[in-house]
Amino acid sequence: MKTILKAKNVTKTYGKKGSAAYTAIRDLSFSMKEGEFIGIMGPSGSGKTTLLNMVATLDPLTNGEITIDGIVVSSKTENQLADFRSQKLGFIFQDFNLLENMTVFENVALPLSLQNKAVKTIQSRVHQVAGVLGIRDIIEKYPEELSGGQKQRTAIVRALIHEPALLLADEPTGALDSKNAAILLDTLAELNRNQQVSVLMVTHDPRSASYCSRLLFINDGQLDRELFQTGTREEFHQEILAVLGDLERRPVAGVRI
Amino acid sequence: MILKLAINGLKKKQRDYLILFTGLIISIAVFYMFLTMSLNKEFILQNSVINNIQVVFLVGTVMLSIITFFYLFYTNSFLLSLRKKEYGLYELIGAKKVQIRRVFQIETMVITAISLAIGLILGIILSRVVSWLLMNQLNIEFTQFKVVYLPAVFWTMVYFLVASFITSTVHNTLLAKSSIIDLLHSDMHNDGIPSEPKGSALQILLGIFFLGIGYTALYFMEQLRFIGLFTAPIATTLGTYVLFVALLPIIVRKWKRNKRVNFKGINSFTSGQLNFRLSSLKWVLATIALLIALSAGAIAGGFAFKNDAFTSIDEHWQYDATLYNPGAAEMAVLDSIPVEEQLTFRMKLNDEFIYLVREELNATPPLIRDMVTYEVVRPDPLPEELEIEDGSQIVSDQWFTALYAINPALEGTRSTRIVPLEEYELAEGEEISILLARTADFSAHIEEWQKLDELQLDVYPGLVTGFDPKTDSVATKYAQFKTQYAIASGTFFMGFFLGLAFLTMMASILMFKILSGANNDIRRYDSLRKLGVRRRVLENSLAREIFIVFLFPGILGLLHVFVGMRMFTFIMDEPYYRLWVSILIFLAIYGGYYFFTVHLYRKIVLPKH
Repeated sequence: MKTILKAKNVTKTYGKKGSAAYTAIRDLSFSMKEGEFIGIMGPSGSGKTTLLNMVATLDPLTNGEITIDGIVVSSKTENQLADFRSQKLGFIFQDFNLLENMTVFENVALPLSLQNKAVKTIQSRVHQVAGVLGIRDIIEKYPEELSGGQKQRTAIVRALIHEPALLLADEPTGALDSKNAAILLDTLAELNRNQQVSVLMVTHDPRSASYCSRLLFINDGQLDRELFQTGTREEFHQEILAVLGDLERRPVAGVRI
Repeated sequence: MILKLAINGLKKKQRDYLILFTGLIISIAVFYMFLTMSLNKEFILQNSVINNIQVVFLVGTVMLSIITFFYLFYTNSFLLSLRKKEYGLYELIGAKKVQIRRVFQIETMVITAISLAIGLILGIILSRVVSWLLMNQLNIEFTQFKVVYLPAVFWTMVYFLVASFITSTVHNTLLAKSSIIDLLHSDMHNDGIPSEPKGSALQILLGIFFLGIGYTALYFMEQLRFIGLFTAPIATTLGTYVLFVALLPIIVRKWKRNKRVNFKGINSFTSGQLNFRLSSLKWVLATIALLIALSAGAIAGGFAFKNDAFTSIDEHWQYDATLYNPGAAEMAVLDSIPVEEQLTFRMKLNDEFIYLVREELNATPPLIRDMVTYEVVRPDPLPEELEIEDGSQIVSDQWFTALYAINPALEGTRSTRIVPLEEYELAEGEEISILLARTADFSAHIEEWQKLDELQLDVYPGLVTGFDPKTDSVATKYAQFKTQYAIASGTFFMGFFLGLAFLTMMASILMFKILSGANNDIRRYDSLRKLGVRRRVLENSLAREIFIVFLFPGILGLLHVFVGMRMFTFIMDEPYYRLWVSILIFLAIYGGYYFFTVHLYRKIVLPKH
């Protein structure tokens, strides 16, 4: 199967080299196959969001190389990266980040308008994807008029509408209650299974993580261990809890040099 | 403690306060200048020409103080609203409302005091510059004029301190009434969703109807007089508000309905922003349209009025100089300018009569403005016989006017007799020659006219018994022009600076309004960046959005000016004179504020990475 994402010896250092410098990610490598659903876990400050931001091309690397869908993104200019994001990546944020001054339709259509698609194409595509995620009835509403679950589904539609090569999710269930969180993760897992959407998700919630097919544990900016789902989701959940407990007991955790 | 906190809070909002400062300082400076111009006592007593200007500046001061009060009221409420959260925080940590109020009050007063210090210095410089310009324009010395005039300083300080005390007290009281929770959550505020416009077609018609009435009243001000004077401002204001409130949401909606445009690039975002912004700003924008009309109108009115001093003087005086017994000095001056027409008449003067030669008058009849047709003509030749009734000779109306044009100093002082040459030669009396000179452009040779007037001062005592050059004057074109021009120049400066002050305050209100929404936008622009919108595209969207917000009031305001200037036809000939200059000044200031707003907005929502 095709490799969709490849991170090679990625390092991220904040601040000037010297005493004030702080290394968030240290020489980290991993790769992701098309159709995988990968979760990134780790304690606060472990560097998981930094990693996601670098994959998302929002944050430049200090060292190393990231390749997405065969394109080396770490060597592109700011404008090229913007175009790349609008074509190849889909984003789901914790607080949805819907644009309040646009209707659901306009929000969802935005990635397609950015690629200057014809209005007809936009309309039929929005109609189709909105149908799959059940937001057709609210298409003319403003985000303020929606419930949390509806907002998150709208956010997913916006992230998928342009058929990105990779879907990135940063704590997507963070602002949802457990019921809506379950619906969201089911949706993501389903999309992943049925439509082969590749998903990379950062989460600190073990239950959310249990929906993934593979988990990367990050600690102190390094890949600590990997976990594959082999059995049922509940078994995977237990396994995750065990790993987290194990990581927490280690005395060096959280101490950075 | 709270004072310390408040100073920190103030520092954080430096940018917003800086804008407040600019508006405040300029209005203080202009206010002071108007006051010095109108209050300088010794200066008033000394010069009758100046006397007229001072009334003009006094009117300006009154107008400025009214507008300034609203400006202070508005900006103060805006700045306090920015700091609601801070206010709530102090309450949360246990500060008493009285304490917080005192701190905020002190803060406002300190800001006013600092602005006063800077504004007064600027005002003194401004007075110096304006009085110097006025002196040069009017060719007079302002010997008694004091640039630093203490009563003006005093009243400026009193006005601004009292006004800011009142506004801050009102706002602090309002702030103290809101609950802590409301205060703490005040920055989480979102604009309401624009409501579906209802019956807007009717509203738009109503708005156009009112504007129509207002414009008609402005246009026919000359005929309508007092009715027009009342109808025009009321109907125009009403029309502006109704039209803005109804029309703005419709325009954006129409635009959004064009899907081909709306779903191109981030147009849907730009129009979405506008949709929210215009519906929340429609009242402010309508107010700004009116203020633009006032300020651009004030500048344009000043220009037109000044020009009018030239055009109206030409209406009444066809000849630029009328010289009695011109000597070598006068002739030398005349020789130095291109005289188009030069007429000479002789007259004999005794205690009873002024004798003029009929043949001379008929040979070179002077140009006059016919009082009936209002055209410039030369009178028809005089008949052989002129009747005498009640001791005065009967001449046609045109010749009646012509006699005054020929002999402005003496005509009417005794009976005029137009007689044939032989009779004239026999008549008793001192012979005086009169020279009328006309150039193509009176305004091009002001200095020469002044010189001729001065030279003639030596002649007048011989003509008019008891003439004292220090106190008396003879009606000449230049003398009349001088008075007229002084008032016009005063009005010009007042209009200009009043317009400038209005415009600065108005534009800074618009700027405040727009920038206060910027914090809500930070997240939106960040989302768009993450979604892969190029920075350049975001910058363009932002510039376009603010452009349209600036555009609507600009267009309507200028339209008001175009129509409104017409109302001055009943006091001047060319109210549209050099309107483009005023419009350029307006555009420069307004445009400057636009670019500054875009720049600040960009800095807030699109930080460099």
